[in-house]
Amino acid sequence: MHKRTLMIVEIAVFATLAFLLDTIPGLQFTIWPQGGSVSFAMIPIFIIAFRWGMKAGIISGLLFGFMNMLFGGYIVDWFQAFLDYILAFAVLGLAGIFSAPLWDAVRKANREKIISYVIAGVFLGTALRFASHFTGGIIFFGYLAPEGQSVWMYSLIYNSTYLVPGFILSAVILIIILITRPKLLFKEI
Amino acid sequence: MNQSLIIGQFVPGESLIHRIDPRLKLVIIFIYVLVIFSAETLLSYGILFAIAISTAVLSRVPATFIIKGLKPVWFIIALTFLLHILLTREGEPLITVWGFSLYDQALLQGLNISARLLLLILMTTLLTLTTTPISITDAVEALLKPLKYVRFPVHELALMMSISLRFIPTIMQETDKIAKAQSSRGLDFTTGPIKDRLKAIIPLLIPLFVGAFKRAEDLALAMEARGYQGGEGRTKYRALTFQPLDLIVALVFVVVMTLFFVTRT
Repeated sequence: MHKRTLMIVEIAVFATLAFLLDTIPGLQFTIWPQGGSVSFAMIPIFIIAFRWGMKAGIISGLLFGFMNMLFGGYIVDWFQAFLDYILAFAVLGLAGIFSAPLWDAVRKANREKIISYVIAGVFLGTALRFASHFTGGIIFFGYLAPEGQSVWMYSLIYNSTYLVPGFILSAVILIIILITRPKLLFKEI
Repeated sequence: MNQSLIIGQFVPGESLIHRIDPRLKLVIIFIYVLVIFSAETLLSYGILFAIAISTAVLSRVPATFIIKGLKPVWFIIALTFLLHILLTREGEPLITVWGFSLYDQALLQGLNISARLLLLILMTTLLTLTTTPISITDAVEALLKPLKYVRFPVHELALMMSISLRFIPTIMQETDKIAKAQSSRGLDFTTGPIKDRLKAIIPLLIPLFVGAFKRAEDLALAMEARGYQGGEGRTKYRALTFQPLDLIVALVFVVVMTLFFVTRT
């Protein structure tokens, strides 16, 4: 089998999985009706990013964001749609920067390195996603800030409520899987 | 789990709207969504609503389907409207009840944003009601073709989009199956405190990931067994052709858009 065909299919299937983990009631916990839920949805994107590298991760994130937008996006402006649904999910794929060293660490079963690369990658992806939502929040949703609270504080709180738990869940679960059953995700291609 | 979520809501039909070339439909929706955000006068909103309503009527999709498609967003639209009314403090106060003032600018902004949201969702819902996901991806691929010259993998992206959309019901079924299997082993992830529920989802995730890898491998193998070798020289089973009907629709749309731009501000 060609590597490229397998990669294309895996990117697509895992983007769908991410979308469903974010959508199926019972599997996600909606915090804000306008968007933003605690779920495991970022994990499939990180899996693709770590397994195939940055480019694949970015494309998988793009597809995930595209589906989110197509099936019930919350859009008030073009630039906001770009920030909240295109850029925010695409940058998750940047976790793939650590793909090569992580593969190496998994092959050598180096526990410390696995933990640090996973945390670094997941943190990078989530932080950039946060930056994108945060900016969108300041520009477009400032009017929602309660009286007496600054706009950036509001956006900070709003977006942290689901992204901080999301970051912790993603990092913990990926580390558990990669330490106990690395072959599950890092089967040699 | 399956009943509570409707995705891919295509309603088969032979109406005018169904028959329009998906490429044209996509371009029209794109322009429409783009201009929604520039509407300011009542008349321009009237034109946008007229387009949406006539599309809905011409599509001959039962009204119940359209309303059902909009159901999840009524709440969001109402919430947006309320938040605008309560939180915006600009312009002249209209009425004051219990120390709460309703400002004219707040009402205006609330109506503006709600109308835009409603139009946006109505039109995109009509697109998915009258166009199969496969046609949409075909159209996206055709429209993005020029990007090929800057070495952007248009074909691959369109392929991934159609695989993604095609697999939504399949993976949803699989999730349902795994959830039932794990529930029968005593797992409970629908009740209890959030912490316990999150923990209970992990035994669901692992089989899902394994299943997804297996599915991807099978599909890649099946594709190659049928001779798939990348985008170059691949022909289409459903070729898109631009019909006279499409030309008429395009012309009508151009006329209506001109009207819109005249009345916009």
